Amino acid sequence: MKHLSILVLCLCVLAVSFAGEKKFGKKITLKEKTKISAIMANPEKYDGKKVLVEGPIIEVCKMRGCWIKLGSDKEFETMTFKVEDGVIVFPMVVKGKTAIAEGVVSVKTYTVEQLIEQGKERAKEQGEEFDPSSIKGPKAVIQIKGEGAIVK
Amino acid sequence: MNWRRWNNIIHRDLAYFLVGMTLVYSISGIAVNHRADWNPSYERQTDVLTIEPTLAETKEEILADVLPKLHIGANDLRNSFRPDAETLQLFLEEKSYSVDLPTGTVIVEVIHPRPVLHELNQLHLNAPKGVWTYISDFFALSLIVIAITGMFVLKGKNGLVGRGAWFIAAGIIVPVAYWVYYLNS
Repeated sequence: MKHLSILVLCLCVLAVSFAGEKKFGKKITLKEKTKISAIMANPEKYDGKKVLVEGPIIEVCKMRGCWIKLGSDKEFETMTFKVEDGVIVFPMVVKGKTAIAEGVVSVKTYTVEQLIEQGKERAKEQGEEFDPSSIKGPKAVIQIKGEGAIVK
Repeated sequence: MNWRRWNNIIHRDLAYFLVGMTLVYSISGIAVNHRADWNPSYERQTDVLTIEPTLAETKEEILADVLPKLHIGANDLRNSFRPDAETLQLFLEEKSYSVDLPTGTVIVEVIHPRPVLHELNQLHLNAPKGVWTYISDFFALSLIVIAITGMFVLKGKNGLVGRGAWFIAAGIIVPVAYWVYYLNS
């Protein structure tokens, strides 16, 4: 009976842990949020800097949960929040929820070949078709190397 | 009582106690091992619908036009976003819609947690964190205890100095040999 009580207590603790907002990765340290639109408008200013952003999660890596795409505060803008494989795993059900996410901004220019390779990889992960002709030339990719996030 | 008897009692009772945890980690381990090929925690279903294209321009106008066509109540909507001028994304609980506004083509995506596997994987990947971190640490340490006490359960020709030694050696050689192969391949 005593053992059963301990087991029930453990399950209750687990149930409480699963409920409400979910935290992923490291604890968020920044207080002030940066608008995604501000980063997109002036990426060089934020390159290499730690930022705290907020936005709706409009896409989740379907295989490994190793990235989420956040909608900007402005329409037609999105920002990928990439985390280390296995360190943070975003469940697919966070899609559509709002994330408050902290990480370091990375601005990197990729060649056409690199972009095609990435596109193929991402399409495979997402189970989607990829058209290499959609890549028109080298492109600066702005993303956040994610450290921690709260999803609510 | 001699030390071997204590060893066997610890080995036996700890192993009984860890049956549940071992099943959680081993079943989930197989599932998570192959996550390059499938999502072990969620099942994803997609469907394609067609609605009347919308001519509205602002997001508010588009929402007012599209939501009734998809029979979605405003209260059911968790979030919405326009990733580009021609697309509207609508997010509901475990369901999302991607509407191609000029054509009216709608891709509906439904996400279901896989029964049992989802829960096992969440525990394996330490999603709950908190107390579960210490419970799983206890599990890992207990496996070490079981492995060590297991070597001393039997004595004689089936024990550590006989048959047991060969099996222990084989079990150590497999990961070491594979690692050497991996480094050189």
